[in-house]
Amino acid sequence: MGKKIVVDPIPRIEGHLRIEATLNESNVIEEAYSTGTMWRGIEVILKGRDPRDAWAFTERICGVCTTVHALASVRCVEDALGITIPTNARIIRNLMNATQVTQDHLVHFYHLHALDWVDVVSALKADPKQASAIAQSISPWPKSSVGYFKDLQQRLVGFVESGQLGIFSNGYWGHPAYKLPPEVNLIAVAHYLEALDFQKEIVKIHTIFGGKNPHPNYLVGGMACAIDPNSDTAINIERLMMIKKIIDDTNTFIDQVYIPDLIAIAGYYKGWLHGGGLGNYLSYGDFPETSLDDFKTLLWPRGAILNKDLANVIDVDPRDASEVTEEVSHSWYTYAGGDSKALHPWKGETTPGYTGPKPPFEYLDTDKKYSWLKTPRWKNHAMEVGPLARVLVAYAKGDPMIKDTVGMVLSKLEVGPEALFSTLGRTAARGIECKQTAGFMTHYYDQLIANIKTGDYRTFNSERWEPSTWPEECKGFGYTEAPRGSLGHWIQIKEKKIKEYQIVVPSTWNASPRDANGNSGAYEAALKGTPMINPEQPLEILRTVHSFDPCLACASHLFDMNGKEITSVTIV
Amino acid sequence: MKYNRINVIGLGNLLYGDEGFGVVALERFRELPGFPSSVHCIDGGTQGIYLLDYIESCDAVIVFDALIPLDYERRVYVYRNDELPAFIHRKMSSHQMGLSEMLGVARLHGKLPREVVLIGVPPCELELTIGLSPEISLLLPEAVEQARALVNAWLAES
Repeated sequence: MGKKIVVDPIPRIEGHLRIEATLNESNVIEEAYSTGTMWRGIEVILKGRDPRDAWAFTERICGVCTTVHALASVRCVEDALGITIPTNARIIRNLMNATQVTQDHLVHFYHLHALDWVDVVSALKADPKQASAIAQSISPWPKSSVGYFKDLQQRLVGFVESGQLGIFSNGYWGHPAYKLPPEVNLIAVAHYLEALDFQKEIVKIHTIFGGKNPHPNYLVGGMACAIDPNSDTAINIERLMMIKKIIDDTNTFIDQVYIPDLIAIAGYYKGWLHGGGLGNYLSYGDFPETSLDDFKTLLWPRGAILNKDLANVIDVDPRDASEVTEEVSHSWYTYAGGDSKALHPWKGETTPGYTGPKPPFEYLDTDKKYSWLKTPRWKNHAMEVGPLARVLVAYAKGDPMIKDTVGMVLSKLEVGPEALFSTLGRTAARGIECKQTAGFMTHYYDQLIANIKTGDYRTFNSERWEPSTWPEECKGFGYTEAPRGSLGHWIQIKEKKIKEYQIVVPSTWNASPRDANGNSGAYEAALKGTPMINPEQPLEILRTVHSFDPCLACASHLFDMNGKEITSVTIV
Repeated sequence: MKYNRINVIGLGNLLYGDEGFGVVALERFRELPGFPSSVHCIDGGTQGIYLLDYIESCDAVIVFDALIPLDYERRVYVYRNDELPAFIHRKMSSHQMGLSEMLGVARLHGKLPREVVLIGVPPCELELTIGLSPEISLLLPEAVEQARALVNAWLAES
């Protein structure tokens, strides 16, 4: 065995995600181990509480994708109690969900992932004239004049030269794995800044329907917003016009900035097709046009793909005890019936039992338990969830919009569909999907207007609000496709209280440790076989892990006056 | 020079001992009487990216936060404008978009407030617990007083 490298973002505080990888003599990753270094524990907090409150607790799991747990939670409680929500509530939830995915994907691409492909320092050497010419050749976006790029470049130079800010000083700038010409780097930096400015507009839609953002308000039985075109305090014409403008601007930004950038950047990296990983993909589906149980109407289809076999999309039923299970053979939990068991979430248990070394430690014994994430499996298979999984399921099922957009991207890049099974494919799928969900925003806006025009203002069904109307005992399942992938909430209600609550989140699928049979999780599999140019600057690992858009529990943040890199990389 | 809008932001995680310093200091500051409506108090919690607008939309901003200073003495640190390093870390997750990035981006946007002040203390205890350590609690009055004096000086100029 050669070297072992550890990428651990916040060793000093509570931590998120830790990757340990072993390299062979040629610096190719032989094995990778993914560890969640923090326990969530919301399931335990929920026991004994009113099921109508669960959404408000679960929504706090994440401050970035801030609506998804609330949505899955109200859906699972409504499923348990047999509640049908009004048409307006379904449309508003879909619109908010499409807004969430669109905003999240945009932020991920520019602010988390782009710097794995874009060399900021190289942008200082760009010729603004050429940058302008390139920008104008790929998009009609108006902010593309020579003066615009010249001005930005000057600000960037001043910024870097001032030293005291050293804004981008912690990147691996000049790393030989960066391939973009300076001009494309400059365009990307310009759009990094524009996207940061623009993204805050998109989520105003959440504020209008949900009262606030992050963590907008949801409601079991519907949505907590009144519709009344003639009221100053309800969803009225003025607010609807505001939403329409945001939706139109969002579509323009995705079409004229994100997609052209994605294609321009990917064009320089189409030789870097590492990081494919498992080849197994799962999507619960989402965006119901009628009820959540009417799978045929889901705009994002449900299905599973095994071994990259796009000719065969397998049906999925997360209620089936033999399909979705969680294991703890490599996780710091115990099961009453033995840790080798695989439990369906309706039989799930959350009993922490840390057996790892006392922090700080150098590395983990990965033959034993090594993560706070459980190990979800679908019919015993490790599965990848998220944009690539969804796009592939839709593509394989022949969804016309996805087929068109995937075809357009592949033909512009001059690559075949097999290129999708890669880190770059995952990144491209996120962009393709973002264009699609921006379209969904328009679609649901039109639906909402049409429904309001019929005189239907209902947003809440109160029939089963009172606990006296509930059965003594019941259980429910709620699902959504969050930006990062399939999310499921499973609830059991007894004597009007939550008896058990289990949540299987997308990053648990993707970042899971090995299962009892030794099968790797999605991150672990995707990193395997990746060649590294310089193990001390593990840009290649960051590219692949970032391409999944990792979302582990919220970090404590500390203002480090020394400008120290928080993501520490140590070779041991 | 007129300060039409002054934002005072508290950052931190109340569940993590002294990491919650910024939020606790903000709550103390909020209780001070007599500020006009142009002074806004914002509990920023652990939000990163969503705070950008609160930084870019004002003429002066004070941020309370736990910090790691260069010399690490147990005292209140006040960093003003050019003394403040703003930098972008390598990130593993969008959760990690912090104040430093916000300041860096606000500067590149050309929307940095005229006055940016960070008032912070180095944490003493960082563990999963609610409440500040006794050592850090002792520094609270001085931190709040520093903010009060600055805000009053800006208001007097207006």
